[in-house]
Amino acid sequence: MMELPEKLQHAEGKAFLVELRPLLEVDRPRIVLDCSQMENIDSAGIEILLHCMEEAMKRDGDLKLAALSPASAAILELMRVDRLFEVFATAEEAAQSFHALGLEEPQGLPWYSAPHGLANLKAAS
Amino acid sequence: MGLGAILVVGAEREIFSSAAPQTDLKALLAQPLACVDILGRSVLESMIERFVRANVEAVTVLVAAEHSCGVEPLRGTYEHVSVRVVDDLFSALSEQLSDYSRRGIEHSFVVSASVYTETDLLDLFYFHREARQVATRGLDRDGPLDLWVVDCAQAQQGDVEGLLAQAEKAGATYFIREYVNRLLQPQDLRRLVSDALSGRCAMRPCGREVKPGIWIDTGAEIDRGARIVAPAYIGRGSKIQEDTLITRFSNIERDCCVDCGTVIEDSSILANTHVGIWLEVRHALANGNMFLSLEHEVVIEISDPGVMRSTRPVQQGTKDGWSWNRKAREPQTVADPKPKPSPAPEWQLGADLIQG
Repeated sequence: MMELPEKLQHAEGKAFLVELRPLLEVDRPRIVLDCSQMENIDSAGIEILLHCMEEAMKRDGDLKLAALSPASAAILELMRVDRLFEVFATAEEAAQSFHALGLEEPQGLPWYSAPHGLANLKAAS
Repeated sequence: MGLGAILVVGAEREIFSSAAPQTDLKALLAQPLACVDILGRSVLESMIERFVRANVEAVTVLVAAEHSCGVEPLRGTYEHVSVRVVDDLFSALSEQLSDYSRRGIEHSFVVSASVYTETDLLDLFYFHREARQVATRGLDRDGPLDLWVVDCAQAQQGDVEGLLAQAEKAGATYFIREYVNRLLQPQDLRRLVSDALSGRCAMRPCGREVKPGIWIDTGAEIDRGARIVAPAYIGRGSKIQEDTLITRFSNIERDCCVDCGTVIEDSSILANTHVGIWLEVRHALANGNMFLSLEHEVVIEISDPGVMRSTRPVQQGTKDGWSWNRKAREPQTVADPKPKPSPAPEWQLGADLIQG
């Protein structure tokens, strides 16, 4: 979970990205960005959010937003990216949603871990 | 029997309660709502036109000095219409009533320019005359309106502000059943646009109705790849670029540009606004770089000019507003100050792209 700065524009965004990078580079990153402090975001800021989401998804993870202010929500809508992010009222809700969706490491489910699982199934049949 | 009209722009005293702009509007607009173009002309001009059509002998627009920069030239040319920029609205109102009285105008309408009403003005006047009151106030189902008819000779003798305030208490009221919009909130502006576009009120957009429900004003350019779904209005000299969608009671006022791929839905883009590429403007008002989301009830200043910006040309600076307004300090006949060298070009439109 990470808190977004008050302003997310070009300069602030770069610094934020440096801070966030280690979290993005782990396997299956599950990131919640708490936007409660964020008051100002521009197109550069949105680009950074999209970049972060892309990076997270590349590693089979996800990035969720929480506590968006009305102004930030309106900007995301205006820029047509509101549908791309899952948005939650609070950071806790966003964090819980990762568990609810079963994004935990699958254990003991052989058919889930192909190709090894598939091979087992084929052998069994 | 003479009949005059005084329209007041920018009054913020209690008596003109509906003229006081609300916070959201103040953040969004630098000018009074009455002066904002809605479907090609301001509410102020629409009201002037109603008075002119009712054969009112003289129409005076009193503009509070602090709002003088917001008053723009009227689109039409009207005789017997004068504009005065004043420091104290109530003493100016009193002076104007005295002036009318001297000129033999016995009764006058006094109205806040923000109030848009389609009441029968002559019926209101006859009601007032028969009631033999000093002042008669209009009201509708939501309460009193900033619209009065006053006896000029009697009104000038006393305190005008008190007189207007007392009219309702004295029982001198006229109930308005016709369409009224107080234009207090941004939502009221949107309501007026949708009511006008859907024919729920008598206000009609300027320009030509090229297909049922689609009005295109002079000089508008619409790309072949743009799609306009009725009802909608595209203002004078506006440019609608390719792959845009203008839909659901949206109005794009004069000299705007909606750039490629952008969707405008149930929104008003006020004059001189550039809306950037690939955006989605829904349930909103945009004025230059100010964006009001009605859904989220928030006004945002867009700092990125690529997203949204004002295209208003920089005016020759004067301390008290534009040059036109400086002249307006003296009573004058209102007309478009710019010479018209040639007829405005016809609108240009791509074929088969408008959904009626």
